[in-house]
Amino acid sequence: MERQIISKKKQVFSVEPTKLSPSEVFTRKYTSHLVPALKKLNMDKNSSQINQVTVKHEVDMALALSAQEFAWGRFLLQKLSSADSKSSSSNQTQILERSNDEDGEIEEKMKELQELLPGGKEMNVEEMLSEIGNYIKYLELQTSALKTIVQDTT
Amino acid sequence: MGGENHEGEIRLNHGDDESGISRVGITSMPLYSKADPFFSSADWDPVVNGGGGGGFSSSHYPSMGMDNPGMSCFPHYQTGSSSGYHDMPASLLPFGDCGGSGHFLGSDKKGESVGRLVRAGDGHQVSDDVVLGGASPARKRRQPEAESQWNKKAVEEYQEDPQSQKKQKNDQSKEKMNKESSQSEEAPKENYIHMRARRGQATNSHSLAERVRREKISERMRLLQELVPGCNKITGKAVMLDEIINYVQSLQQQVEFLSMKLSTVNPELNIDIDRILAKDLLQSRDRNTPTLGLNPFTGFQGTVPNISTSTNPQYNSLPQTTLESELQNLYQMGFVSNPSNMSSFSPNTGN
Repeated sequence: MERQIISKKKQVFSVEPTKLSPSEVFTRKYTSHLVPALKKLNMDKNSSQINQVTVKHEVDMALALSAQEFAWGRFLLQKLSSADSKSSSSNQTQILERSNDEDGEIEEKMKELQELLPGGKEMNVEEMLSEIGNYIKYLELQTSALKTIVQDTT
Repeated sequence: MGGENHEGEIRLNHGDDESGISRVGITSMPLYSKADPFFSSADWDPVVNGGGGGGFSSSHYPSMGMDNPGMSCFPHYQTGSSSGYHDMPASLLPFGDCGGSGHFLGSDKKGESVGRLVRAGDGHQVSDDVVLGGASPARKRRQPEAESQWNKKAVEEYQEDPQSQKKQKNDQSKEKMNKESSQSEEAPKENYIHMRARRGQATNSHSLAERVRREKISERMRLLQELVPGCNKITGKAVMLDEIINYVQSLQQQVEFLSMKLSTVNPELNIDIDRILAKDLLQSRDRNTPTLGLNPFTGFQGTVPNISTSTNPQYNSLPQTTLESELQNLYQMGFVSNPSNMSSFSPNTGN
């Protein structure tokens, strides 16, 4: 809904929409999601309530909204919308202590990857591998966008 | 032109159905010994070697290496156009191994036609004619008797290719997959991954499907290799997976760290989106596309720089000058100065 509005507006904005590379599209979408959200956060809670969790939540939400064309994006959005205050940073729990001696060593690693990817557990391995590909790319984009935002405000 | 020749030849050969094939096959054998100078003859050799060397990575066809050099002609089949060959050489494998692939046609005609036969692009017609000329009964008859042999010796894998003569191949692979042999009419063109059992491997449908799946997985792994920096030299799934995991984790940690930083500086948040976009694109432009040669802040009107469409996973965002200026204007109108609009765009309206 909002995203569609945004994308429609985006098309209105852009002179030649077809020439936008997907990374650009994503970056614009992402920042257009995140920055207003942060501002709203800023305005709403003018006390120092702005803790990291909410910011992270917004960050992830912006990512999810900007990546709706991917399964992991949709899953992330679902997860974030349903569990509002859930901290998604728990994804980074180290799962590395697995036995490496099983013949399913590679499967173990696949499972790890699956846990890293939002929604990965519901996918089969092949899907997961392709989703991981664009997840990585979009994570990189998100990182650079965040860096820019942070630099801009410091 | 060559294709036409082939058609004629093939029709000739396969007009006799089995006998034709067997004849061809048999004649291919002595030819095989002659094959080597033939192989080295003009057209074929570079194609063969090119296919053998660069056509596919070793991981793709592990069994290729162990077979005779004739087998290297198979990579041609990878390309969509030449993928029709699988049938013909396969049929002759029992007789003369891969060498027969070219030979069976060349046996009767000049060698040049054989060369052309195997080369990509000519395969279409040839195989098509094989399909049609060979007639379904021939195919059916051919397959059961040679199927077991084919399965062991053919080395093929096709990517999805809806066009061309896949009809016949559909039948072939379907038969192999389903163990049924009565497909007289051509199957509709579909997206298939056609697998042929490799030498010495089991041929039941389960393992074939398994192999398809594994090939898919390794292909995705290869793509991932390009994405993750510094993984070019890594071979091996486990190590590669480790790297990917580490990279994803590090990216996620980076995001976390940055968001933490963001939360600390948030109170001073009076940024303009347009500035961020400009900066971001500027940065990524510098980082990724060394040869843009276009400053986004000059020359607003008119020509939009040519975008190298991102065919590769690496993102190289090229700023659009006109686009950017438009965006700047509109963002200023739409976003910054109008809080009501912003709230509508806020992702957490539910709060």
